[in-house]
Amino acid sequence: MNLPSVARRRLRALFRRSIVDREMNDELAFHFELEKQERMRAGASSAEAHRAAVHAFGGVDQVKEEYRDALGIRPLENLIQDLRYGVRMLRRNPLFATAAVTTLGLGLGATLAVFNVVNGVLLRPLPYREPERINIIWAALRGDDGNFWTLPLSSGSYSDIERDSRSFEAMAAFRAWPYAIAESPDAEREAVAGARVSPALFDVLGVAPAVGRAFTREEAVPGGPNVALISHGLWQRKFGGSRDIIGKRIYLGDAPFTLTGVMPPGFAFPRGAELPAPFQFGLRTDVWTPLVFAASDVSNYDVQNLVAVGKLKDRCGAGECSASAAQAELTELLRRNLPVSDQPNSAYKLVSMADQAADRVRRPLVMLLGAVAFVLAIAGANVTTLLIGRVHARERELAVRSALGAARGRLARQLVTENLVLCVLGMAVGLTLAFWGTKVMLSLVPGSLPRADDIGFDWRVLSVAGLLALIAALAFGVATAYAARLRFTRAQVSVSRTRRVLVMTEVALSLILLIGAALLTRSFLRLQQVRPGFDPSQTLTARVSLPVAGPFQPLVDGPRWGATFDQLMARLASVPAIAAAGGTVTLPMSGAYEAGGVRPVGKAYEEGENPIAQVQVVAGDYFTATRIRLIAGRVFNVSDDGPVRASMIVNRRFAREHYGSEADALGREVRALFEFDPNRPPRVIVGVVDDVKTVSLDADAPPQVYVPFSQHPVYELTLVLRVRGADPLAAVPAVRQAVREVSSSATVKEIRTFESVVADSLARQRFIMTLIATFAVVALVLAFVGLYGVLALIVGHRRREIGVRLALGASPGNVVRGMLGEGARVVAVGVAIGLAGAFALTRVLSSMLYGVSTTDGSTFVGAAAFVGLVAILATWLPARRASQVDPRTALALE
Amino acid sequence: MTPLDRSRDVVQGTLDMLVLKALSLAPMHGWGITNRIQQISKGVLTVNPGSLYPALERLQDRGWITGAWETTESGRKAKYYTLSAAGRRRLGTETEAWRRMVAAIEAVLRTS
Repeated sequence: MNLPSVARRRLRALFRRSIVDREMNDELAFHFELEKQERMRAGASSAEAHRAAVHAFGGVDQVKEEYRDALGIRPLENLIQDLRYGVRMLRRNPLFATAAVTTLGLGLGATLAVFNVVNGVLLRPLPYREPERINIIWAALRGDDGNFWTLPLSSGSYSDIERDSRSFEAMAAFRAWPYAIAESPDAEREAVAGARVSPALFDVLGVAPAVGRAFTREEAVPGGPNVALISHGLWQRKFGGSRDIIGKRIYLGDAPFTLTGVMPPGFAFPRGAELPAPFQFGLRTDVWTPLVFAASDVSNYDVQNLVAVGKLKDRCGAGECSASAAQAELTELLRRNLPVSDQPNSAYKLVSMADQAADRVRRPLVMLLGAVAFVLAIAGANVTTLLIGRVHARERELAVRSALGAARGRLARQLVTENLVLCVLGMAVGLTLAFWGTKVMLSLVPGSLPRADDIGFDWRVLSVAGLLALIAALAFGVATAYAARLRFTRAQVSVSRTRRVLVMTEVALSLILLIGAALLTRSFLRLQQVRPGFDPSQTLTARVSLPVAGPFQPLVDGPRWGATFDQLMARLASVPAIAAAGGTVTLPMSGAYEAGGVRPVGKAYEEGENPIAQVQVVAGDYFTATRIRLIAGRVFNVSDDGPVRASMIVNRRFAREHYGSEADALGREVRALFEFDPNRPPRVIVGVVDDVKTVSLDADAPPQVYVPFSQHPVYELTLVLRVRGADPLAAVPAVRQAVREVSSSATVKEIRTFESVVADSLARQRFIMTLIATFAVVALVLAFVGLYGVLALIVGHRRREIGVRLALGASPGNVVRGMLGEGARVVAVGVAIGLAGAFALTRVLSSMLYGVSTTDGSTFVGAAAFVGLVAILATWLPARRASQVDPRTALALE
Repeated sequence: MTPLDRSRDVVQGTLDMLVLKALSLAPMHGWGITNRIQQISKGVLTVNPGSLYPALERLQDRGWITGAWETTESGRKAKYYTLSAAGRRRLGTETEAWRRMVAAIEAVLRTS
C-alpha cells in the first residue's frame, strides 16, 4: 500500500471536497448515462430505460454514500459536521451561548491569570544560566531565641570564603549603591538604582553584556579606573541606544566613568523585590560598577553589608555538588578560626536563588491558586447545569436521532464535540481576561512582587489553558451524555439530583471563599487601625542622596555629609509651608532597616549573649515631624550636633528590657557596636520615646535606639517633613529648591507622602485580600445564577403539576412555600458543607491574619447568613413565578 | 482497519480480481468494466456500481490501478482506469490462489 499517495488522496478528498464530489457525480452520471443508452439501443423508450437504469444502479444516493465511505474520510467528516452543528446550536441559542461562554471564560480567565503569575514567580527558571546551581550565601548567627538569623557578609568573611572554599565555580559579592547619572558634567542628573558588584558576578549568572564588555578583575582594585556598565533600558532612554557611547565618558555623581558596556535587555540583577528589603536595592538595577576591596576591607569582619552569590561546581569529587555540602564546608572553614565557645553560634547558610526570590510569596500564591480553583469549579458546575438544561430542551431531537439509528456512542461523541466548541470559545475569552487580569493583579502590588518581570504568557500557561479547556469539554460531554442517558431511561429524579448536588457544591465553595475573604478583610481593617507610634498624616517623605564615587569611607567623608545635611535641615525648617523638618536614614515602613549590637555599660553579658537593637539615625526635628511621643528626658537638639558628642534616645521596650523602667534609663551609658569609629566612647541616654512599628504594622516594635545624624553621618537621608496644609505634595517644589541650593549634585527620589508609604507596606495584604474578595464575589454571583437557573428549570418542568395543585385548591402561598422548601434544603446542606470546609481550610490563612482567629465565630455566622440570604433570594424569584402559574394554561399545555 | 483485511472476504476478493482482469486487457472506465465482466461471463456475473466504485477507490489506494480523466471517442469526459505493474503482479498471485482454491473445493466435492 502506498501511504503517501493514500494520504494525498485523503487530504484531497477532505479539503478539495467540492472538486472530489463533482468528479464523483460526473463519473456516476456518465455511468448512468451509458447504462441508459445501452437499454435504449435494445429498444426501450427513454422513460423505460431510465427506470431500468435506476433499478440496475440500485439507488444513486446509496451508491454515492458507499463511494464516499470508500474515500475514507468519514470520521473527519463527522467531526467537522459535529463542529458545524455545535457552532450552529450555539448561534441558535445566543442567550445560552453567552451565559455559558461568559461563565466559563470568567472561571478560566481568573484561573489562568493567577496561574500566569504563579508560573512567572514560582515555576519559570530564573533568566540566568543554570539558575539551579546559583545560591545566595548568608552568614547565620544564633540569636537569643536559639534560632539562626541570616545576615549579610562582611568584606572580611567574603574574602575568606572566596579564597578558601572549593565548592564554587564562581562567586561574587554585591551591594546597593545609589547613583546619579548624567551624560556630561553640567547636565541634569538622574537618580538611578546602582550596585557595586564583583566582576565575577556576570560569570556566576552567565550573562554577558549585549554591547561592549564587562569590567575585569584587574579593574576592580584600589586605585583602578572608574568603569561602569548600564542596563539596556537606561542606554535606550538616556543615550538613545547609541553605540558611540561605549568606551566614552559618563558621569556618576560628580565623577567621570568609562562606560565599558550595556547589559542585555531585561537584565536588572539584583532586583529589589527578590532580596530582603533592608538592602535597599532598586526595583531594577540600572548601573553596575566594580566592588573594590581596600587592603583594610579584607580583614574587616564588623561591617556586614555584602550579599554574596555563588555558583556551585558541576561536580565535586565523586558526585554532584550539593548546597548542603557547600554550606557544611563554609561553616567548617568559619568555625576553624573561632573560639570554641562561639563555634555553635555561627554558620553559613545557602539559599537557592529561586527560593530566595520567591519563598516569601509561595504560600500566598499557592493559596490564591487554590481559591481560584474554587471559582473555576463553580463556573464549571454552572455550565454543567446549563448544559443539562439544554439536553432536556433537546430531548426530542436526541430521541429522534436515536430512533433513526444514531448509535449511542455517536450521539455522545457529538455532545462532546459540541462542548468542545463551547470550551474553545470559553478559553479564548479566558485568555483575554487572563491577559488583562494579570495586568490588574500586578498593578495591585507595585514593586513588591518578586520576579514580576518574569511574568508573561509562555508555553506552560498556554498548555494549561488548552488542558483546562479539554478537561472541561470532556467533563461537560460526559455529564450531558450521562444526563441524556438518564433521560432515555426515564430517571428524571436522578437528573435533578445531579443538578442539586452541583448547586450544593456551588453554595459550599462560595461560602468557603466568602469566609476567607471576610477574614482577610477584617484582618486588613484591623491592621489599618493599628497605631504605628507615629503620625503619617500631612507628612512628606523624600530620599536625598549625595554623590559618592569612591569607596564608602564614613570617617573621612562623614563630616562633609553631616554638614551638608545640617544645612539642608536648617533651610527646610525655614520654608513657610513646612511645620517641622526631620530626616532618618531608615524610614519606618519603607522596608529599610538597620540593626546593631548594643552593650549597656555596667552590665555583665555571658559569652554568646548578644543584645541587638534596631538603629535609627535621625536628623533635624525628627520626633516633632513624626509626632513620636516623648516619654521621658528630652529629644535631640543643637547641643547634640557635632561628631564628638555621644548621645542616644531609646524606646520604651529598650528601656524596660534593659533597665526595668523608662525613668531608670535616663543618663545610663550604652556602648554601640555599630559605630563607624570603634574607639568612640559609650553613648549617654538622654531621652525615652514611644515604641514605633518600623517593619510592618503586624509586628511588634523591637528594642530601638536613636542616634543623631550629625554624630553618625552617611551620604543619604530620607526627609520627613510635616507640612502646613492638607496636601503634603504641594511642598515638593520648595523641597527640590532647598536641595538644589545646598548641593547641586544631590539627587531627590522616592517623593511620597508618609501615608502612602504606610499604605504600601500593606500592599501584600491588600493584594491577597482584594483577589480573594473578588473571587468570593464572582463565586457568589455564579452560585446565585446557578441556583436561580436550576430552580427556574424545575419550576418550568413542574408547571403542569403546579397547575394541578393550584386547580385543586392549593394557595399560591403554599406553592411558593413548597418551592422555597425545595431550594432551602439544597442551600442548607450546601451551607453546612461550606462551614465545615471553611473550618478545615481557613487554617492556611493563619500566617496572613492579624487580630482575627481563623475560625472567628461571627465571621462564620455572618458569611453563612449572607450566603443563605442570597440563596433564598435566588430560589424565591422562580418560586414566585411558579405561584403565578395560571392553572388553565398550565393544564392546556399538554 | 486495513484494506488487506477486507480482501480476505471472498466476494470482494473476487470482485477485485475480476476488475484487475478486465483492466489487464485495456484501460477502461467504470461502465466499461461492468460491461466487460458481464460480456465475458455471458451475463452470469453482474457488477453493481455500488460495489464497483468503492472497489476502484480501494484498488487505487493499494496502487494496483490508477485513475485519470480522459476524453472518450464520443468526446465526453470519463475517468479511465489503468492497471499498474503492481496490479499485474497482484492479478497473477490472485489468479493462482483462486485456481488453487477452486481445485481444492472441486476435490472436496468429488469425494462425496
